[in-house]
Amino acid sequence: MPLPSKIIEAPLRLLGEYKVDCVIVGGIAAAIHGSSLLTNDLDVCYSRDPVNLKQLADALQSVHARLRNAPEGLPFILDSETLKRGLNFTFTTDIGDIDLLGEVRGVGNYEDVIAGSVTADLFGYRFAVIDIGKLIVAKRAAGRPKDLIALPELEAIQEAQAIANATKQRAD
Amino acid sequence: MRADIEDYFLNPPDGSAAARATEFGIDLTLTLGNLRLTPEQRIRKLDDFIEGAAKLKASVRVIGPTNATAKQDH
Repeated sequence: MPLPSKIIEAPLRLLGEYKVDCVIVGGIAAAIHGSSLLTNDLDVCYSRDPVNLKQLADALQSVHARLRNAPEGLPFILDSETLKRGLNFTFTTDIGDIDLLGEVRGVGNYEDVIAGSVTADLFGYRFAVIDIGKLIVAKRAAGRPKDLIALPELEAIQEAQAIANATKQRAD
Repeated sequence: MRADIEDYFLNPPDGSAAARATEFGIDLTLTLGNLRLTPEQRIRKLDDFIEGAAKLKASVRVIGPTNATAKQDH
């Protein structure tokens, strides 16, 4: 089996290329905010607008996405109709793992997640990234050890951002 | 990187979230190192680490106890 290469960058480029409306959440969002914790899959909360579901399905088909941890031979048609019928999906693809979340626990759906999000320019594309406050809420709501262990560092980054913003406002 | 943010992470004020993170065991110098990078550089660094770890894992060879014992006899 070939070694993985750019397993975060490549899926991000894919979503950018297909103009998928989504917000980066989870561990990659934490890394973008500055967290030093390691993660190896990309979680995004996606818009369930029909046009976006088509874009998403086309993007995933292009990299032969298949359900992760699904029994071998399980029939699965990856199209916008399937995405519409489901909500959260975990995919493995030729270029890395991509998890699609229709809702983020503790925060809500795409509209709730994108509200107040920040943007990051990555590999030639502009992405929405969940606000650090909402990321903390989501991690706390998820409640798994791997989520809870991320909280102290994220809270420190959040406080540093607040200090930076307050100083900037005073200067303005 | 602004001096007040550097100082916040290197000398966390009492009662701050940074102080609690340090107490929890987080090495905030690593966080500070990330904050000096652009978001894209942070992703590249993560990808490089994942790739390096995978190469390391692929290169692991188990040395049987028989071989290890034979070497120790010399």
